[in-house]
Amino acid sequence: MPERPDELFARVAAELEHPAPMDRAVDARVMAAVRAEATRRPWFLRRRTFAWSPAGLLMRAAAVAAIAVGATIAALHLRSVPPTSPPDHTVAFVLYAPGARSVSLAGDFNDWSKSATPLHPTASAGAWVVTVPLAPGRYHYAFVVDGKRWVTDPGAAPAPGDDFGKPSSVMTVGRS
Amino acid sequence: MRGARRALACAVLCTVMVVGVAAAQDARLDRLTPETRALVVPILDSARAAGLPTDPLIDRALEGTSKGASSALIASVLRRVAAELGRARDALGSGADAAELAAAADALRAGATPGVLVRLRDGLAGRRLTVPLGVTADLIARGVPADTAAALLIARARSARDAELLAFERSVARDIALGAAPTTAATTSALDLLNNIPAEGGASGPVKHKP
Repeated sequence: MPERPDELFARVAAELEHPAPMDRAVDARVMAAVRAEATRRPWFLRRRTFAWSPAGLLMRAAAVAAIAVGATIAALHLRSVPPTSPPDHTVAFVLYAPGARSVSLAGDFNDWSKSATPLHPTASAGAWVVTVPLAPGRYHYAFVVDGKRWVTDPGAAPAPGDDFGKPSSVMTVGRS
Repeated sequence: MRGARRALACAVLCTVMVVGVAAAQDARLDRLTPETRALVVPILDSARAAGLPTDPLIDRALEGTSKGASSALIASVLRRVAAELGRARDALGSGADAAELAAAADALRAGATPGVLVRLRDGLAGRRLTVPLGVTADLIARGVPADTAAALLIARARSARDAELLAFERSVARDIALGAAPTTAATTSALDLLNNIPAEGGASGPVKHKP
């Protein structure tokens, strides 16, 4: 006579109420295996679970946004920077300025500082000289005599225009 | 929770990077007066948004500041230079780098037309154009007609190295200083370059000068 469903269920339930005997060392072996797994792999390769809490989601969104903003600004900034080339020319700037107390060089290569690149007097009376390492490119510049008088380089091409009432010269440096 | 902390650390790191980039951008502008900076920064932002290099603009702002120009004049010059950089980029294409655009803007300022820049770009395709454009600008500034300068550069620059083109420019300058007509000096020096006169160096400009 076939067993009735409710009797079958009752018998299965009674069987399940008796846990299967298990080796006492199982827990220790499982946990040892978990710890070994955790220490064997670097942190970014370990398996993990994620808790999608609102605060966690907000922080992740903030991180993604910050990365996007940072990458955008960095990309924009890098686009504005000319390709960096090591200086491969040392250019001598010489000015004949008899009677000058000081001569300096100001230009695109030193942010137009009137004091960063002083010329040095040479043994020849009136001659001042400085050498500047320059990468390939185009540079506007001028000499500053006695800290106030702007003097162009008469042998170099004049910079187009006289935008600020004190003309400059221009120099192109090529690749070797 | 550890993931959230890590995400927060990433956000902080990125923020620091962003602030660092911004600080690096602003470092050269610190030499400007606050009034000048207030006028210059929007021009730089507009140029940057248009994909134009900002270094040539910052250079002009620093030049104006060092020469004691007013904030209004500096801003006016920067707007004009930005417009010239835009015209240069339109002529040379978006692949042109900052140095090429700066040289092309100088050529426009010296009197070249955008058509001259296009001819140089097409005639010297595949070659870096900073030196040919710079030499063209300098020849025009010395009185050589723009079309003549461009034609000579296109004819010679295909096979000449940068140093040879710069030696060509020095030769033209020397002949003009000695009294030759600019066009004659340029044509004669171009023929010399064709005959492979040895280059003398890698930078334009003389060595000894008298104010």
